[in-house]
Amino acid sequence: MGRRSFLRTSAVLATGLAALAASLKPLLEMNDFPTMERFLQKYYKEMTPQDMARVLKRIEDETEKQYGLRPHVRDLKPVDGVEFVYCLNLTRCIGCRKCVHACVAENNESRDPEIQYIRVLRLPDGSLDIDKADHFYSPDSVPEKGYFYMPVQCQQCKNPPCVKVCPVHATWQENDGITVIDYDWCIGCRYCEAACPYWARRFNFTKPSIPKERLNPDMSYLGNRPRRQGVMEKCHFCIQRTRVGRYPACVEVCPAGARKFGNILDPNSEVSYILRSKRVFIQLKEEMGTSPRFFYYFDV
Amino acid sequence: MRRAIRNYFVFLGRCLRIAFVGDWRYYAWIGLLSVICLLGLNAYCRQFAHGLIVTGMSDEVSWGVYIANFTFLVGVAAAAVMMVIPVYIYKNEDLHDLVIFGELLAVAAILMCLAFVTVDLGRPDRFWHLIPGIGQFNFPKSMLSWDVIVLNGYLLLNVHICGYLLYCRYRKTKPGKWFYIPFVFIAIVWAVSIHTVTAFLYVGLGGRPFWNSSIVGPRFLASAFTAGPALIILAMQVVRRVTSSPSPGADALAVGNASVAPSKRRAATLEDFALLTRYLPEIGSVPMETRQQLLPMAEVLEVQPGGVLLRQGKIEDRAFFILRGCVVVKREEGGRFRITRTAGPGEQIGEITALNATPRTATAFAEEPSLVLSLSADALRLLMKSPQVNKIVRSRMSERLLITDRALMTLRSIVQVSMLINVFLLANEVFKEFYSGNLHVVSSKYLFVGLRHHHALVPWIWTAIAFNLVAMVLLVLPLSRSLKWLNLTCILCVVGIWIEKGMGLVVPGFIPTPLGEIMEYSPSLNETLVCFGIWSFGLLCYTIFLRMSVPILQGRLCRDNEGVSNHSVAAAPLPG
Repeated sequence: MGRRSFLRTSAVLATGLAALAASLKPLLEMNDFPTMERFLQKYYKEMTPQDMARVLKRIEDETEKQYGLRPHVRDLKPVDGVEFVYCLNLTRCIGCRKCVHACVAENNESRDPEIQYIRVLRLPDGSLDIDKADHFYSPDSVPEKGYFYMPVQCQQCKNPPCVKVCPVHATWQENDGITVIDYDWCIGCRYCEAACPYWARRFNFTKPSIPKERLNPDMSYLGNRPRRQGVMEKCHFCIQRTRVGRYPACVEVCPAGARKFGNILDPNSEVSYILRSKRVFIQLKEEMGTSPRFFYYFDV
Repeated sequence: MRRAIRNYFVFLGRCLRIAFVGDWRYYAWIGLLSVICLLGLNAYCRQFAHGLIVTGMSDEVSWGVYIANFTFLVGVAAAAVMMVIPVYIYKNEDLHDLVIFGELLAVAAILMCLAFVTVDLGRPDRFWHLIPGIGQFNFPKSMLSWDVIVLNGYLLLNVHICGYLLYCRYRKTKPGKWFYIPFVFIAIVWAVSIHTVTAFLYVGLGGRPFWNSSIVGPRFLASAFTAGPALIILAMQVVRRVTSSPSPGADALAVGNASVAPSKRRAATLEDFALLTRYLPEIGSVPMETRQQLLPMAEVLEVQPGGVLLRQGKIEDRAFFILRGCVVVKREEGGRFRITRTAGPGEQIGEITALNATPRTATAFAEEPSLVLSLSADALRLLMKSPQVNKIVRSRMSERLLITDRALMTLRSIVQVSMLINVFLLANEVFKEFYSGNLHVVSSKYLFVGLRHHHALVPWIWTAIAFNLVAMVLLVLPLSRSLKWLNLTCILCVVGIWIEKGMGLVVPGFIPTPLGEIMEYSPSLNETLVCFGIWSFGLLCYTIFLRMSVPILQGRLCRDNEGVSNHSVAAAPLPG
C-alpha cells in the first residue's frame, strides 16, 4: 500500500469512527443501564425461592437507593380456594374519580408521564355505546344530571387475549384469576396492549417518576413494585393487598359504595350474594368471548 | 475439505473487498447512505436512552410508523417469490438472473424488518427472552412467535439460495440441484407464509374490528405482489443503468485512442434495405410502406478502418446494422481496451442504448472499410414492429444483457394482475364496512372521511387510493409497456401501497380506542429519523449485495481471475 492511499484510508476510517462515536453519544444520557445481574435475571416461574429472595433484596436495595426509603417487597402467591371477582354498581357510581387517584397512589403509578389504570367514562343516560363516552369530563361537581359513569379497568378475563398474544409468556393468569405481568421479563412489544379490548394496559414510554414522599413501600413482585422504562403494567386487583386479605384501594376509597370485591368461590362473600341476587349484569364486550371477572350491575 | 473452506473464504474476501471498490458516484452513494444510517443510529440511541416517549406513540396508538414499515417490508420480502415461480415452475429464462436480485432484495427487506421490530421494542436488551430454548417462547399461541420463526427462516433460506448460486457462478460450476431446488420450493411456500403470518398478527385481535377481518390476509398478499415486483422493476433499472456506465476517464481514453468520425454519410435508399435483407432475412417481413417511412430516419455511413461508430459513455439514440465490412466492439476496462465481439454484415450494434436511452456500454471501431446503416431509435422501433425482426433483435440483445426488457415486462404483468386483485379486495372491504353501517365502521370512517373532527389520515388514504387507481389504469393500458410510463406506474404502486397498508392499516386500528377515545398519531422527528436510518441501512445492504453479485453474474469476478485486482474487475461495465 502506498503512502498516499494509506493516508487516505486512515483518514476515511478516522472520520467514520468519529462519526460513529458522535452518533452513539446519546447513550451517555441513559440513567438506567441494565446491569449484568438484571440482564440475566430468570423468568418468574423458573426462579427458585433462593433466586427470588436475591431478586427481592436487589429490588429493595435499588428502590432504597432511588427513593431513600426501604420498601418491603414480597412475592405473594395466590391463595388456594380463592377466585377474585369484582362487581361495580353503575347506579351508585358518581364519577368522582377517587378510585383513580387511590389506585395511582397505592400502585406506585408514574406521575410524570401520568399512568392510570382506571378510566372513568361519562355516558349519556340510556346508552352503553362506548363511542359516546366522554373521557375528560370535568364539571364543578358530580354527579351530573343526564349522565351516568362507568369506570373501566383490567377486567381480569377468564379468557384473556393479552396472555395469548404475548410472545415471551411475560403475562399470565394466576390461579386466583388475576392476570399478572413479570415486569422484568416483558420485552415491551406492546402486542398485549393492541390485543386488549378494554384498553386496560399501560406502557412505560419512559422512566416512570414518582415523588419520593409518595412512594408506597408495601410492595409485591407481581404487583406495585416500581416499574422500569419500556415495560407494560396494568391493574392487578392490588395483589399486595388482596392476597393478604385486604380490599383493593379503589374499593376501599369509593365514597358511594359502588365497588364490591371478593371471592366468588366463597358462597357467603358479598360478590357471591350480588351475583346470586341481581337479575342483569353487564360484562363489557361480552361478544368478544373474553369472559371478564368484572361485572357491572344496577340497583333495582 | 480444508481446501474447500479456504476457497470459500477467498470468495468471501473478494466479495467483501469489491464492496469497497467503485467510481466516485458509488462512493458518494455509499457515503450518503452511511451518513443517513448514522443519523438514524443517533436518533435510535436517543430513543434507547429516554424510551419510546421520543416517538409519537402513546397508550392510545401504541404502534406507529415502525410497525407500518415493518408490515410493508414483509410484503416486499415475500414478493421476491413472484420472480422465483416463473423461473423454476414455468422455466422462464428471462427472469433467471433477476431471481438472484429479487432474493437479495428479500434479504435486505428482511434485515430492515428485523431492524424495525427491534426499534419498536421497549426493552431491546431483553431480546434473548424471544430465543427458543433460552428464553420463554410462546409458540404456537402467539402470532408474534410465529413471525419470529418465519422471518428468520426466510432470511436463512434466501441467504442460502443466493449465496449458493452466486458461489457456483463464481466457480463456474453447475449448481447441484439438491443443494438448492428443494430450498427454492420451500422458499415459495415460506414467502406466502411470512406475509400471511404478518397479516394474522392483526387479524387475530378480536378487540380491534378494523383488523379483525378475514380479507386482510389476501389483501396483504395482493398488495405485496404489487409493490414488491414494482420495487424490483425500479431497482433493476437503476442496476442496469449504473452497471452499464463506464468508469471515469473512459470517454477521454476512448477519444484519445480513436481516430476521427466516419468519413462519408449519405441518405439511405431502398437498395440498402435490400442489401441488409441478404444477411438478415427477417428484414424481408417489413412491408414496403414501412421501409419508405424509414428512409428519412436512416442514413448510410462509410467508415474507414479505425473510425469510431459510437463511444462508450455517450448517450445517443442511434442504432447500427452492418451492411459490409467488419466492426469491432471494445470495452474499456481499467484503462485497457478489451475486444468484446466483432460484428459482421447483418449484425446490429448500439441497439441497447438506443432503445433504453442508457449510456453506450462500449466503443465500436471499424476494422476494415465498412458500410453501416444508421437508424434513429424511432426507426428501430418501427422496424421492430415486424414480429420477426423484433424477435431476432431482442434475442441477440438479451444474449448480452443481464436484465432484459422482456424480464421487466414479465414483472409488469405480475404487477398488473396483482394490482387488479388488490383494488378489487380493497373495494370489497370498503363496501362491507360502509354498506352494513354497523358500529364497527368507526375506524374506517376515521380513515376515509374523518371522525368527530379528526381527519389526520384522510388526505393520505385518498392519495393512496388515487395512486392505486391511476397505477391500475396505467397498468391495464399498453402505455405502461414503455419504460418511462412503467417507471411512473411502479412509483405510484409503491407509494400508494406503502401508505395504504402501512399507516393506513396500522394507525386506524387504534382509532378510536376500544373505549371510544380518539387520540391522533403522527410520527415524531426522532421516529422519522430512525425510519430513514433503517431504510438507508437496507439500501446500503442491497447496494453492497448488488456490488458483489453483478460482477459474479457477469462472469467478471470468478475463480479464474483470483490474482487480478478488484479494481479492474469492478470497473468493467456490461458487455454491449
